[in-house]
Amino acid sequence: MNYSFDWSVIWEYRELITRGFINTVLLSLLGLIFAALLGILMGTLASVSSRRLRWIATIYVETARNIPLLIHMYFWYIALAYLRLPAFACAVLGLSIYSGAYVTEVVRSGIAAVPRGQYAAALATGLPPFAAMRHVVYPQALKIVTPSLAGLASQLIKDSSLASVIAVAELTYEAGAIEGLTFRTFEAYIFVSLLYLALVTIVSQVLMLLTRSRKSETISVSEG
Amino acid sequence: MDVILPNLGFLLSGLATTAVLALISIVAGTVLGIVLGTLRYTSVPVLGQAAAIYIEFTRGIPLLVFLFLFYFALPALGGYKVSAYVAAAQGFSFFIGAYLAEDFRSGLRSVRPQLKQAARASGLTETQVFRHIVLPIALRRIIPTLFNQYVRLFKFTSVASVIGVSELTGRAMLVNAREFAPIAIIVTLALTYLVCCLALSSIGRALSHRFTVRT
Repeated sequence: MNYSFDWSVIWEYRELITRGFINTVLLSLLGLIFAALLGILMGTLASVSSRRLRWIATIYVETARNIPLLIHMYFWYIALAYLRLPAFACAVLGLSIYSGAYVTEVVRSGIAAVPRGQYAAALATGLPPFAAMRHVVYPQALKIVTPSLAGLASQLIKDSSLASVIAVAELTYEAGAIEGLTFRTFEAYIFVSLLYLALVTIVSQVLMLLTRSRKSETISVSEG
Repeated sequence: MDVILPNLGFLLSGLATTAVLALISIVAGTVLGIVLGTLRYTSVPVLGQAAAIYIEFTRGIPLLVFLFLFYFALPALGGYKVSAYVAAAQGFSFFIGAYLAEDFRSGLRSVRPQLKQAARASGLTETQVFRHIVLPIALRRIIPTLFNQYVRLFKFTSVASVIGVSELTGRAMLVNAREFAPIAIIVTLALTYLVCCLALSSIGRALSHRFTVRT
């Protein structure tokens, strides 16, 4: 092994890396928000008594998650190229629809884990169905599924690297750019790997901490 | 359809490449997962910690970056050349192996200690208990999780096209470059993956139904 390391390129191209990092964070954040909204909507549809509505959710989940994320992105970026959506928007759409399917499954299992009596009791106190879900079912379901959601969030951050394939200038893309400019292949990719590792670790730890504080909060409410 | 049919043979051989790549990676990844999972479970000194570090590192980085490590970074470091296909097979196996290791470990840990004590009491050695009692039960128990990972891996293989492997996605993109019918081609591509993944999950469901043990 006679590879001579030169880590100075990382510092030299810090602007590219910073820009890539910011884009990865933005992409993941938007992807997370839309995936969560889609997941809550579809997960709720999957939990209603109407069989037809449940079918909509099932078809969505099975199609969205059995198609590779790369193809999701190609669909918006290449198949629907005449829409002229910016690459960033295509990446967000692909990420949200793909990950939304996983969130749907988690939300569905969370709602199923809340005893049905809770919803019935909320209705009996006079809350309209939407308020009963909003104030009684969702908070309890969220508490149950937060660990799974934290896992999905870190998965989504990692998945966002595929946006580089459709030329979104995020972290992986910039690593490729630095490699192309300097031929410091190993340094570029190892450094970017460590950045992803750090980002994923921080996000999942923070989400787990949030669960813990939320848990104690709900317990004190139920005791009070 | 007018663009798909003339290119059907070309696309189908891409599908075959995808299937072979997935199969190689599933087998190698599963073996690696069993080894690493066992090292973690038995907490062998040094090797156990090394396995833990490897698993944490791999699970924390994106698949695409992991493939780039195997295709660009490691060959640059070691001064060797590797074909895209081999790099993809290596990358997928090592990547999925880290995820499977954690699944195996939790499967191994789900075997109740009473069962192991009973096996020990019947005169089996520690190794025999692991080999004949703990491992088979754990393997059967994690079949559903295993197949979830296999489906994930099957979808992952599409990423191999990015480093230039001429599998299904790579070939579909070539056909698109020639014919320019992106909607037909990408929708066909998506449906092909959909059918394959659904088939793979239903094999998993059938196996887990057949082999489930309740202890």
